Amino acid sequence: MTQLAIRTRTTPAGPVVELTGELDYDSSAQVRALFPELVLRDGSQLVVDLTGVTFCDSSGITALLAARNHALAARAGISLVAVPDHISRIFQMVGLDQVFTTHPTAQAAEAAWTPPKTRP
Amino acid sequence: MSASGDSESESADQPRPQHPGDDHATFSALLEDSAEDLYEHAPCGYLSTLLDGTIAKINTTLLDWLGYDHGDLVGRRTFSDLLTVGGRLYHETHFGPLLRMQGEVSGIALELKALDGTRLPVLVTSTVKTGGDGRPLLIRTTVFDARDRRAYETELLRARKEAELEREELKRLNATLQQTLLPPTLVNVPGLDVAAHYHVASTDMVGGDFYDLFPLSAGTWGLFLGDVCGKGAAAAAVTSLARYTLRAAAVYDPDPAAVLGNLNTVLHHEYNGHDPRFCTVVFGLLTPEGDRGGFRITLASGGHPPALLLRADGSADHVHTPGGQLIGVLSDAHIATATVHLAAGDTLLLHTDGLTEAHPDGTRGGGRYGDEALLDFVRALAPTTASDTVAAIRDLLDTFGTGVDDDTAVLAINVPRPTSEEQP
Repeated sequence: MTQLAIRTRTTPAGPVVELTGELDYDSSAQVRALFPELVLRDGSQLVVDLTGVTFCDSSGITALLAARNHALAARAGISLVAVPDHISRIFQMVGLDQVFTTHPTAQAAEAAWTPPKTRP
Repeated sequence: MSASGDSESESADQPRPQHPGDDHATFSALLEDSAEDLYEHAPCGYLSTLLDGTIAKINTTLLDWLGYDHGDLVGRRTFSDLLTVGGRLYHETHFGPLLRMQGEVSGIALELKALDGTRLPVLVTSTVKTGGDGRPLLIRTTVFDARDRRAYETELLRARKEAELEREELKRLNATLQQTLLPPTLVNVPGLDVAAHYHVASTDMVGGDFYDLFPLSAGTWGLFLGDVCGKGAAAAAVTSLARYTLRAAAVYDPDPAAVLGNLNTVLHHEYNGHDPRFCTVVFGLLTPEGDRGGFRITLASGGHPPALLLRADGSADHVHTPGGQLIGVLSDAHIATATVHLAAGDTLLLHTDGLTEAHPDGTRGGGRYGDEALLDFVRALAPTTASDTVAAIRDLLDTFGTGVDDDTAVLAINVPRPTSEEQP
């Protein structure tokens, strides 16, 4: 059984999920179980911080895609931050670098977020 | 309820005696009165036998359990007579010798035969009583009723047997399901040497790797190798869908990018939600090059690890298909293609990432094998043949042992050198 630590916090832009450890078949199930519980408002932004992720396989990618589908369904955005080189390489290989918005840090992701205009 | 039981409940309702002297008197009266009673009606059986096994003394509890009278057994029967045939054998060969050697044997499970023929599972403990000079005098034995325990053990055994049967059945189903996802044998392509291998990482779960090689119209051939994310029945369903969609799409339009585009549309429609399913796959269209000799192969990749080309001159490199996207994730996945010429002596190797993500040191904690290590490995093989390449990969997987935690599929094709070249 692989070890994965999950921490979530809330910012004005939306929830931030910090993952630390190996994101593989064993551990990705708990990540996928988490996303439906996050409250995503229309126009908010889900940030997934990958700083501490040491390994990511196809199950890990599935979890991130499930997060994306969840965010899109709520009409929210999704950003990955601090994507480690080894994951960047996989993303390039599978073409996901075109799919996910990435930022170097969670602060940068929050700064790049624009609040939705309040409707009259 | 017995008389003593009644008096106990009465005394519990009354205030406790205040004088320590009274307390003491009550206890000693109880103890003195019950020494014999305790022996006779103890919650376990007591039995004393002579050294030859003849029963010298036996308590009422054990007599009641067995349905015998005192006179039936004492001086007439041996302890061994009370055992079942199997128990008697065990008593002669193990119990007795151990008791003589150690002076004590405890917690042995035996079955006693009651007068009415029923069997009573018991736990037996015996000690040898010795005289002042150390010579053994008799054997004292306690007998505990083990019916509840035996019933529990029987239940456990039954449950275990059932679980084992189900596990066997599951393994069999998995193996059958796995076989339906792979071609029983690879077709024979004239002028091409072909080999493939599927490594099963776990017999408990169906993996999601797949490959095939099949004829298309006008002397061309289609081949594919891919990996569905995840494991188990749900992944197998996607694998099955992917495999048949690829075969049908290739008949409809054999252009590799179009084939993967069709698969993308099918998977995206089918699995787009909280449970996304996707695959990485390489599809190749093989066309014999006629006068030039060899084959032209156009590869389309949807996010799959690049194929490896092992040249006749001993060099080896990736066949890059950059920018190809996972199949099934996006409504309009980008498919990357590359075309290479396979000349005599060239070998093309397709593989799934179970190989490169294996732990070479055999433990799950260690590092992963990686793409560069695999490239170095095949460089050392080139120039080679399809069957030698696949055999080398099989050996490599064997050295990883349990470090391979995902299924792995490999497919190699090679244009054999003309026989005259091999023997100049």
